[in-house]
Amino acid sequence: MTGRGEVTTGPLPIGQFVQLVKQTVTRDPLFKNQALKGEVTQWKQYASGHTYFSLRDQEGQMRAVIWKGRCAIDPSIKEGSEVIILASIDLYVLRGEIQLNVERIEPVSVLGELEKAKRLLVEQLRKEGELDRLRQPIPALPQHIAIITGAGSAALADMQRLIENRWPGLRRTVIGVLVQGPRATEEIVRGLAAARRLSNPDIAKRRGEPPVDLVIVGRGGGSPEDLWAFNLEPVARAIIASPVPIVSAVGHESDVLVSDLVADLRASTPSDAIERVVPVLPELHYLLDEFEERLGVASRRQIHDSKQRLSILHARLRVAPMAGLNRAKANVLTLSSRIKVSTQRILGLQSARLAHFEASLSAIHPQRVLERGYSMTQTSDGTVLSSIDGLKIGQNIILNFADGSADAEIKKTQLNEGAK
Amino acid sequence: MTDKIPTYTEATQRLEAIVALLERGGMGLDETLKLYEEGADLLRLCKTELTAAEGKLNELQLDEIETQLQTEEQ
Repeated sequence: MTGRGEVTTGPLPIGQFVQLVKQTVTRDPLFKNQALKGEVTQWKQYASGHTYFSLRDQEGQMRAVIWKGRCAIDPSIKEGSEVIILASIDLYVLRGEIQLNVERIEPVSVLGELEKAKRLLVEQLRKEGELDRLRQPIPALPQHIAIITGAGSAALADMQRLIENRWPGLRRTVIGVLVQGPRATEEIVRGLAAARRLSNPDIAKRRGEPPVDLVIVGRGGGSPEDLWAFNLEPVARAIIASPVPIVSAVGHESDVLVSDLVADLRASTPSDAIERVVPVLPELHYLLDEFEERLGVASRRQIHDSKQRLSILHARLRVAPMAGLNRAKANVLTLSSRIKVSTQRILGLQSARLAHFEASLSAIHPQRVLERGYSMTQTSDGTVLSSIDGLKIGQNIILNFADGSADAEIKKTQLNEGAK
Repeated sequence: MTDKIPTYTEATQRLEAIVALLERGGMGLDETLKLYEEGADLLRLCKTELTAAEGKLNELQLDEIETQLQTEEQ
């Protein structure tokens, strides 16, 4: 083995070189028992008792291992935890990979900085009402789909294969962007902006194609930090601002991404997105044929029913005038008998009243009074006398009786006691 | 229906409603014929859309599409 600074002759076998690197880095006191701070990702505890993870922050990351029984592990440590570790550099010669051998691990806070930022963003979007906004409906027959994803990625290949099976003629524009790494956010936002311009009818006309009416943005699965661009505000804002519906199609199982929360449709993977928005052409044809069949059958039945109702009406119409006449006749009969009865009753009442009247009248006739022994006194000029007032001695008067009259002469007048 | 040409989604939704109305029954001849005609028009429209929707596949890098769009927007 040669040490640092020694001259070698000829090419060095790689294994020896890696060994050399290992000796160099493990000897450096800076890399021994160093306290390090970062976020835990790809946290995996194996049955063997070893625990593997990556420690990361926005600048960089490194693989780490906690050998079985090396130190106590706080059970609250999980994906996204902010931790401080005490670790030494090691180099796995067989694969030439650098890793951290962890001597101690302590959680700093439950959530890593990124998780905290994501939480704040979600909170902010919720306050702004963006999480409850009305989602745009997915067109049943997309005219032009824009797919924003990693160029040449497995996810894109999966989507293309599915589209070929469902609707090979689907018009689509794939916009290849970086979906991880420091430039991913910017490229995804630019991809969304390009899709937005393709959805503009004027631009589409100039390009000689229908405007984009649906956008799929996504990528295949990966570690949380690989997918992190889909948790950042610029991507969320670009999705919210889209004039056409957007499907968030990022492959992941656990945490919901911010892009999922704001998109018009959330798919669990890119393939899932295709299955949910790209129709199967033969099924569409079948659906239309079925509509045609149902439309024909229902219309014919309606027309048949209408005809039947018409003939029933016709029959009723023919019977109707006779029924009317009969009813009228019956009415007239009832009425006339009622009139007869009423008339007779009225006539009866009238004649009874007349007889009573006659009786009263005859009772007060003067003749009847004279018959009872009274007599009526008149002056010679015929005036009926009811008082002695004005009578003179020697005046001639006439006394009327029931059967005749007698002339008489006043001899004396005498006022009754009490009379005036 | 409005004067505007309905989208495929709108057309199929209206078709569904028309067929449901006719299947429920109890409407007059006039209305039946009017609905049937509207349904037949919508069916024609959908079938045309289905064949017209066929298009091509563009696969472009972000820079390429941006350059294309820039020249088209000038």
